[in-house]
Amino acid sequence: MRMGVMFGVGVLVALLANAVNLERSQIISCSIFIMIIMATLLFWTFRLAIAFVGIGVLMGSNVLDLPTFIKECKIDVILFLIGMMVTVGVLKELGLFTWIIQMVISTPRMTGLKFVTIIVFLGAFMACAVDEVTSIVFVATLIFQVCDTLKVKPIPFIIIAVMGTNVGSSGTMLGNPVGILIGQNADPPLGFMDFLTWSFPIMLLTLTCTLGVLVYWFRKDIRLLSERLESRREMRLGLGPLVKVPYARGLVILVGMICFIALHHQLEHLLNLEPNTILIVAPLIIAGILMIWRNKRARHYIEDDVEWWTLLFFMMLFAVAGTLEHTQVTREIADSFQSVFGDKPALLTPIIIFISALGSAFVDNIVFVAAFIPVVNKLEQTPLYWALLQGACLGGNITMIGSTANIVALGMLEKRYRVHINFFQWFKVGAVVGLISCLIAWGGIALLSPYMPTKAQREEAVSARYESGPGVEANESHVPKNDDYQNDSLK
Amino acid sequence: MNDHYNGIEFSHLFTAAQVICQIEQTDRDGVILELLRLLALERGIGNVNDAYEAVLERENSFPTIVGSGIAMPHARLEAINDLVVGVITSQKGIIYPNKPDNPIKLMILTLAPKTAPGLYLQAMSSLAKICQDPETANAVSNLGSGEEIWKFFDRNGLVLPNYVLACDIMDPVQVKLHEDDTLEQAIDLFVRYGRIDLPVVDKEEELIGVVSTYELLRVCLPDYILWMDDLTPILNFEPFLEVLRNESKTWLTEIMASEFATVAEDAPAIQIAKELTRHNADNAYVLRGKQLVGVVSLEGFLRKVLRD
Repeated sequence: MRMGVMFGVGVLVALLANAVNLERSQIISCSIFIMIIMATLLFWTFRLAIAFVGIGVLMGSNVLDLPTFIKECKIDVILFLIGMMVTVGVLKELGLFTWIIQMVISTPRMTGLKFVTIIVFLGAFMACAVDEVTSIVFVATLIFQVCDTLKVKPIPFIIIAVMGTNVGSSGTMLGNPVGILIGQNADPPLGFMDFLTWSFPIMLLTLTCTLGVLVYWFRKDIRLLSERLESRREMRLGLGPLVKVPYARGLVILVGMICFIALHHQLEHLLNLEPNTILIVAPLIIAGILMIWRNKRARHYIEDDVEWWTLLFFMMLFAVAGTLEHTQVTREIADSFQSVFGDKPALLTPIIIFISALGSAFVDNIVFVAAFIPVVNKLEQTPLYWALLQGACLGGNITMIGSTANIVALGMLEKRYRVHINFFQWFKVGAVVGLISCLIAWGGIALLSPYMPTKAQREEAVSARYESGPGVEANESHVPKNDDYQNDSLK
Repeated sequence: MNDHYNGIEFSHLFTAAQVICQIEQTDRDGVILELLRLLALERGIGNVNDAYEAVLERENSFPTIVGSGIAMPHARLEAINDLVVGVITSQKGIIYPNKPDNPIKLMILTLAPKTAPGLYLQAMSSLAKICQDPETANAVSNLGSGEEIWKFFDRNGLVLPNYVLACDIMDPVQVKLHEDDTLEQAIDLFVRYGRIDLPVVDKEEELIGVVSTYELLRVCLPDYILWMDDLTPILNFEPFLEVLRNESKTWLTEIMASEFATVAEDAPAIQIAKELTRHNADNAYVLRGKQLVGVVSLEGFLRKVLRD
């Protein structure tokens, strides 16, 4: 049945593509792309296997060749994620996250509201620093500790933390794989400081409003938590054992890594490197140094802390989405998009936010972004990158399968308590939070749009940097072309 | 293999000729040997010495005194293909080593084929009714002939069940905690009885949870502490000290697991294996309604099914 649906939708898309006069290679790439998306929805556990087969079909039908596959795998994004995963593994062993959790459970006069506020902001800021999946693993552990001790149901607090984490993941380039994907593939690329300047403030606003909605929605559970905390306090009992943690080394590494990444722009300028080179290699360099320092554990970090399954899946998805660009399908979509919606950012921003939010609610947001970013590149308007980022991250809150953080947290919940969250149990609150946060993100982007650099200005900045150094020829792909200026509506 | 015994009467498993009535001898080992010789003559059980050693080995490890004055020694033998039963009575009482205050007046010896797990349990299950009656041993030992003894079993309509029930292989609950006990009492019982987990019951003796040593350890060493590679901060058991300080103030309900392996007393015994596996548990608790009536340990289950 499910197999039939998958092939049925693939054939339907092929027929539609044929009806709009797409070429053979375009029809095949569209059809395979949709089938892989359907497979991730219908056969979640086989998603990597199906992605492998999909790549094989694309290559076998001559739609995708090996050099294009290697180029579109976006090995830069994968290397960045590997470096981050290894570093996070070391930080975990150094006790940094233990220290953070102990700080929370030893907070004086803890109340339900205070706890919820902490988990939302902690989840969001940790996502900003070390990615959303790592963040939710640690915050979920904190929630389990508190809920087990107080004998309250963890489900509402897991939902709250996941939603905070998803919103927070839009704050920096490190927050979500889609951040690094957008940053690296924007034309010209966006840097860490671009995210901090344009996305982080919007994230803070969205997070605060999301917290308000969640506190109201789960008010009964929060009240119960407050009561249990109060009675435990009266008995002078804590929320868990506390030990002295030598956290300083971990904290120095984390802060050092963030500073290293944050300064990538300046370092690249200084060393006359391609944009975002330092951004990509910073986690790798730090991971390498940490592996030399803790050489006995190095193999463990690579084998156990790096999520190879997920990374391979990402590579295959990037390649499949890249095929859409390679076969000019994304250009066709962008042209249609422009002809239907025009090129007014005021109209395109909400459309992209809501399309990417809805898409990300049901499909892995990285698939959606990988496929959509060439369209946004073609539209050549800076605010649309932020719209795509916000929509992809905030849309993850709408359904329980909307983001990797949701799936990881629900997996932990299921493993520990053998409880399942009903699709609609999540959707009821997810839809409300998703809608409100998308509206706020739209408002935020609209407010900041006039101050955002246009594509031409960003290209100018890049070319100015390279004109001042010896690497001009090597980086000529980043030198703006005249027609780019003409197409920039925000110029 | 066990199927053709389903529903047959216990009295069909032996004849009056397989009964030794009012034996004078009181030494357990000698009585067992006597009965085995008789069974060898009547039914053929292979080498008597092998059977004797098998029965004694089993009896020395786990004496099978099942009720007041009743014992059911047994063994599984490769030499036989059918269930063989022999009965022996004693008015003086057969004395078990280490159990001199419970003289056995009725001994039912069961020999089962090696490849028939649970057959002995089926036979024992059929005798549950008479074993529970404290007068049975005296009544049977007063009967003067093998014929009369056979008729006693026949009259009582003891039938081998189609399958063994959970209550047939459960042990009585010897140690349990109450809902208003503290962690201190739980730790005391864990240490004193060397148990892996302990059931917690409410005032109506209904099972409300289980406290396990694993959970206790998790309270002392939660996940966030175990993440650390460097255990220097806890080399002196600091988290345990914290728990010790609060043990008298910590209610069991705080560390009690509400998910545990349970089976109804009338559920097939195989259900116990399923529950033990599903919960990755060491003990399955047997319930009558919600009341705790017994416990089956993983070790006990395996022993009874694979060795008894």
